[in-house]
Amino acid sequence: MTPAALLPYVVLAMLALAALQAWRRFRHWRAGRPALVDWARGLVALPKRYLVDVHHVVARDAYASRMHMVVAGGLLAASALSVLTAVPPLGQSRIWLGLVALAFAVTLAGALLVGARRYPQRPRRLSGGRFQILPILLLAYALGGLLTAGLAAAGASLPPLSALGLLLAAAGGLGLAWQVRAGPMRHALAGAIHLAAHPRPGRFEGERASALRPLDLDAPKLGVETPADLAWNQLAGLDACIQCGRCETACPAFAAGQPLNPKRLIQDLAAAIAPEADNRHYAGSPYPEARPVAGIGGLTRPVIGADAMIHPDTLWSCTTCRACVEECPMMIEHVDAIVGLRRFQTLELGAVPMKAAETLGELRGADEPGGRALAARTDFAAGLDLPRLADTGTCDVLLWLGEGAYDLRYGRTLRALVTLLRRAGVDFAVLGAEERDCGDTARRLGDEATFQRLARDNVATLTRYRFARILTADPHALHALRNEYPAFGGTFDVVHHTAFLLELIEAGRLPAGSVAGLSVAYHDPCYLGRYNGEVEAPRALLDRIGAERREMARSGRRSMCCGGGGGAPISDIAGERRIPDIRMGQAKDTGAGIVAVACPTCTAMLEGVTGERPDVRDIAELVLQAVDAGAQAASARPPVAAAMPMSALEPAE
Amino acid sequence: MKITVLLSPGLHPLSGKPVLPRLEAQAIALGKSLGGVLSGLAAASCPDGVADALGHGLAQLDLIATTEGEDPMPLLAAALAEDGPKLVLAGRRSQGGEESGLVPYALAKALGLGVVADAVAIEPGTEPGTLSILQALPKGARRRVVARLPMVVTVHPAAPPALPYAYGAARRGTLRARRVQAAPGAPDAAPGLFEERAYRKRPKLMRGAGTGGSAAERLRAATEAGGAGGRVLTDLSPEQAARTILDHLAGLGILR
Repeated sequence: MTPAALLPYVVLAMLALAALQAWRRFRHWRAGRPALVDWARGLVALPKRYLVDVHHVVARDAYASRMHMVVAGGLLAASALSVLTAVPPLGQSRIWLGLVALAFAVTLAGALLVGARRYPQRPRRLSGGRFQILPILLLAYALGGLLTAGLAAAGASLPPLSALGLLLAAAGGLGLAWQVRAGPMRHALAGAIHLAAHPRPGRFEGERASALRPLDLDAPKLGVETPADLAWNQLAGLDACIQCGRCETACPAFAAGQPLNPKRLIQDLAAAIAPEADNRHYAGSPYPEARPVAGIGGLTRPVIGADAMIHPDTLWSCTTCRACVEECPMMIEHVDAIVGLRRFQTLELGAVPMKAAETLGELRGADEPGGRALAARTDFAAGLDLPRLADTGTCDVLLWLGEGAYDLRYGRTLRALVTLLRRAGVDFAVLGAEERDCGDTARRLGDEATFQRLARDNVATLTRYRFARILTADPHALHALRNEYPAFGGTFDVVHHTAFLLELIEAGRLPAGSVAGLSVAYHDPCYLGRYNGEVEAPRALLDRIGAERREMARSGRRSMCCGGGGGAPISDIAGERRIPDIRMGQAKDTGAGIVAVACPTCTAMLEGVTGERPDVRDIAELVLQAVDAGAQAASARPPVAAAMPMSALEPAE
Repeated sequence: MKITVLLSPGLHPLSGKPVLPRLEAQAIALGKSLGGVLSGLAAASCPDGVADALGHGLAQLDLIATTEGEDPMPLLAAALAEDGPKLVLAGRRSQGGEESGLVPYALAKALGLGVVADAVAIEPGTEPGTLSILQALPKGARRRVVARLPMVVTVHPAAPPALPYAYGAARRGTLRARRVQAAPGAPDAAPGLFEERAYRKRPKLMRGAGTGGSAAERLRAATEAGGAGGRVLTDLSPEQAARTILDHLAGLGILR
């Protein structure tokens, strides 16, 4: 028997070893909680999810995309073709063997691309350790296969060289198969299962699918304490991680030197899947300013704690901005894992950071995170005479003010918005003292009980009135009301003020006016851009008012967080820098004179940046400025001004 | 050591919703730091707010049902006499109720116990059966008091913060409805002892606040501790000391 004839058996041995290794690993997933998975839909959609959705993310790094296509395609083709060599007519065919050799040659090219990325100097975001062996194993498998099949195809009889090739292929191939349990090759098998049984299948069907799932508050254990408290398909998701480190380059907390690295977090969780586990094998970048932990865990052992795998400070550093989720080529849901872990800490242990505990206490006692009177929410509008829905009973647009209304700075934005609504003749009203906090902060901090109570109370209030839409300038409230309240019986048409103002201008109800000459960099709020996919309207609005728009290095769905989400400002985990300082630096780099914002939290965070910097202005303020400028220009030409009905709608100020 | 934390139905100062007064949640944390068997006791017409104590680290809470406006004092005194705890922890006053601040004192009197007010830290004393209590005094001063158990201790806002509320813990805790017979002859607050009037905002008068000078000088004048007002006497016999204090009080017209 020639070495080439043995090639299929090498591949079969690889498959058997890979199956064994996969079983040794994947059987632990059964310890996870059951999950509702539509297998038929998932498996049918798998090729599309992989070739379109995953590719779309991978291709943001063109080199990685090409490298992966060549090496994975080559590996699969070479292995499949090699197995078929066992079929008699094919095994004798030199053309077929040539084809096999060609596939191995492609794999070899891929292996070289993999190696070139990691040697001599590995980029910081990539992991070392077992990952550094990967190109060597690939090289051995590809070179060995090429030698064996190539010699056979050429008809050359050089038994020692052929045998050497076969040995090399076997060594490399079996090494790769061995890595299915705990090495880079795990991502291939676990990733396929993860994509088919993804916890948020809507993500592949054009939905944003960013709402958190409600927690059953009658469950025996609330939240995630051990890896076994995660759903099995979440465990599969952890194993799908290829440690490419794109999440860590996107993470604002990582950039600020807070002790969070999403990659490390996922790896710590993944390491804890085995019964007796430790974190020794991780070879990527650490948590910045890492707090010391014991680094031991297991399927049924607590994950969080200085005596476990992950320090609580790591957990509370997250701003829930979803940048990691957006960047992850394996579609892993980091934020779900973090909120699940936080839920256990908050609901079962009461182990929230002290400042956050105060906020949550006020939310329970006063329905408001600052413990302020709900009736004081409209204080910002002194003199504007806001209509209350309780008085009017019905309105076209319900203006949801949100927590920002208590903030002096943000009050200016809301005053601008109210003035614009008046000028456009919009029939609107506010809830006044009946508006409770939407519960966003409570939910991100893991206090699902308080969130659910607030959600139910708010839904009960809202369903008592008749209105067509809810308008809000707060993307956090928008996300809660639009995407998370339906689970509590309230389905509302919620619109962000940027989209609404654009509508008004496009319908001709507001004269666009112009702020020409202002250079503006728009900062996307995470809860509007990433969570709700609304990145066009604010930009279109800025274009309509003639602002000279500049884009920051990170914008749109890949924008960087201001540091204000997820209760992070109140958890206040110390880092080396402040997230808003970093973001303001990016805004400054565009040379724009103004950072346009569209969220009360972003406003507060960016306004808190000291030193020389662009001005922070909400889009509503800019639109009002443009409208005012337009009105002035119009009144300079008397005949036209007289024809404008707008002045009749001017509020009495 | 058997510790009872007295709890009361408080009202949030702004929203008016039932809450557990923060001081009482701090009392629970202080009691837990001592170890021992900790349980709660409350007399209220409704468990709202009081039951939150279970989320702040209390495992068990006895609730004596009262009617609206009923004086809780005799009921609490009877329950405490029945349980006989070594240490009774309480807040300084109720929140949103009548807020006389007298309940800990009235209870101590009824049970024949001593009161140590405004504790910020408690630890076991060197001698068995005693506690060493750090007491908060005005202007940040602290005094260590060693007292013999049993006793009543009220908690100062500067005590360590309360344990954060945990929904799961509140769910696990047990709330027992308790029936007690009010001790006969226990002092009963006469109805109409308190008169309710709408709050009137009064200007805050600053003693000795000058009108002239710079802002810094006026601030100093307003906040500086008056040095001339008192005498410090040392090495007096107890009789002499008591006599001096009585004379002083008589001089002020407090004692006649």
